[in-house]
Amino acid sequence: MTKAAYKGPLEQVDPCCYRIPRHYRSDMRVDGLIFANEALIEAIRSDQAPEQVANVATLPGIQVASLAMPDIHWGYGFCIGGVCATDPNEGGVISPGGVGYDINCGVRLVKTNLFLNDVKPHLRELIKNLFNTIPAGVGRGGAYKYNAQETRKIMADGVKFVIDRGLGVPADLEHTEALGRIDGADPSQVSDHAVTRGAEQCGTLGSGNHFLEVQVVDSIFDPTVAKAFGLELHQVCVMIHSGSRGLGYQVCDDALAQFRSVPGRYGIQLPDRQLACAPVDSPEGKKYIAAMRAAANFGFTNRQLLMQQARDVFANTFGRSWQQLGMELLYDVAHNIAKLEEHVIDGKKKKVWVHRKGATRAFPAGHPEVPEAFRQVGQPVIIPGDMGRASWVLVGSAGSMAKTFGTTCHGAGRAMSRTAAKADAAGRRIDKELEARGVIAMASSRLGLAEEQPKAYKNVDDVVNVVHEADLSRKVARLRPIGVIKG
Amino acid sequence: MYELFEHTADLGLRVRAADLETVFAEAALGLFSMIIDNPESIRPLEERSLELSGDDREYLFFDWLRALLSLFESEHWLLAKSEVRLGPAGLTARLWGEPFDPARHLPAHEVKAITYHELTVKPTADGWLAEAIVDI
Repeated sequence: MTKAAYKGPLEQVDPCCYRIPRHYRSDMRVDGLIFANEALIEAIRSDQAPEQVANVATLPGIQVASLAMPDIHWGYGFCIGGVCATDPNEGGVISPGGVGYDINCGVRLVKTNLFLNDVKPHLRELIKNLFNTIPAGVGRGGAYKYNAQETRKIMADGVKFVIDRGLGVPADLEHTEALGRIDGADPSQVSDHAVTRGAEQCGTLGSGNHFLEVQVVDSIFDPTVAKAFGLELHQVCVMIHSGSRGLGYQVCDDALAQFRSVPGRYGIQLPDRQLACAPVDSPEGKKYIAAMRAAANFGFTNRQLLMQQARDVFANTFGRSWQQLGMELLYDVAHNIAKLEEHVIDGKKKKVWVHRKGATRAFPAGHPEVPEAFRQVGQPVIIPGDMGRASWVLVGSAGSMAKTFGTTCHGAGRAMSRTAAKADAAGRRIDKELEARGVIAMASSRLGLAEEQPKAYKNVDDVVNVVHEADLSRKVARLRPIGVIKG
Repeated sequence: MYELFEHTADLGLRVRAADLETVFAEAALGLFSMIIDNPESIRPLEERSLELSGDDREYLFFDWLRALLSLFESEHWLLAKSEVRLGPAGLTARLWGEPFDPARHLPAHEVKAITYHELTVKPTADGWLAEAIVDI
């Protein structure tokens, strides 16, 4: 299948937003809105992602508009960077494709009290220790082997399960979205096959675009918020990007198989079968929601264990406890999730199902779900970039509540397919190129670095500029990688 | 008769063959070539059988790939070759392969799911074409 360009309408609404008008297709219930600027929109037109935004606009119960973030790219059903909210009181649906296969893929940023000059002399040793300790890549099982019963407990209790076993502290919970546990999870709705896939994988990084990076704060854009977050120039941090591993994938896979004939049963006509969905209040909808929440709790716990292993490696490398090294969790956010949230729509408070597929929650100052420590300034938003350039910490802003159901972008978005990136990397030593740029990268597979090379990604700065200008989330600090481990 | 093709974040599998049963068998090889960098090293030491029911051709193709992926995920079993018989109600297949051996088999990608994205099984002028995109 060659990528056909989008030929439909894209009307510029303002410098950071383009509209696909509802009248473009007779089955659209609302407009599509893509947050992007002129610099990004041409690339966005070059595949069918805008058509996918239009497809989502056909879903029953969809509120206001079908949205997409500036890191939009072609996905399954929903585009990556796709966001929508559905109202159960209007026949609103839940769609597994609007969450993604990797349920609660997300990212967390861990602070340290180390600075670049403290770490530089030990960097190679540190990255090697991280690489040797943290399980990454195909077929590499984890250090924590939970049986089926324990895995189901993790799905029910979330991060608290491992904190009660000494693998973290209560403050870690306060600094995790949903306090590391989404209510209403039902592990009994998760298949045995999913549990088997997940049991040996809690605390493992995975492969593809997942990573653990040692980063240094390169620039501060908002000194007040940076201070509230505890971020300083040249401070060393650890960013962890991973999800619910095979367990979450299997939950999505099981749901999509079960949903094959479901839309028809409820009289729902879909332009793309990958938008398979069910009314939120249907038995099928409720079952998926319960399983999705369970998988999400597994994802939070996975990142908690990855952080704990990183804390141990730093302690061993620097000869001080992780607490003495100030390795506090700044925040953990999900970027593949659906959540029941209250939003104001046409002046009325409504509880709606917000689907974020490759999009991050970005609640502003004052929102009760923002941790108390940050409530005056807003929710930290962690945006992973690529391993050669930068990642970002943003802060949730009022514009997100007004325009995007409290949502912002999630990362850089791919610019090059895996096959193209691999071909481009032929004959090159990506690890040496990165080292020349001051980044020590270690990957467990030959393809890992080739397919994930910086060129394969859009420039995250361009994406962040749009969400900043649209006031979805504002820039706080830019971080650059100095060490990367990948599967 | 199989090839891998581009997709922004993932990998596509395209198979062409004169008959549908060969398409299924070739697709199986294609899947394992995504998982293992040197699929020619997979030896047909053990035999297994597989039965799937379904009357929708595309969903059956999907379920076939999914069942094979599941064998790898749960038992780390690799396929060397297969013989597929298609019927009106589904398929039966004989599979030959061996367990994953890290000393000989080089991992390529972690195939995490078969997707429905652009899932195609259709007749062509000289046989059949099937495509599926897998999530990496």
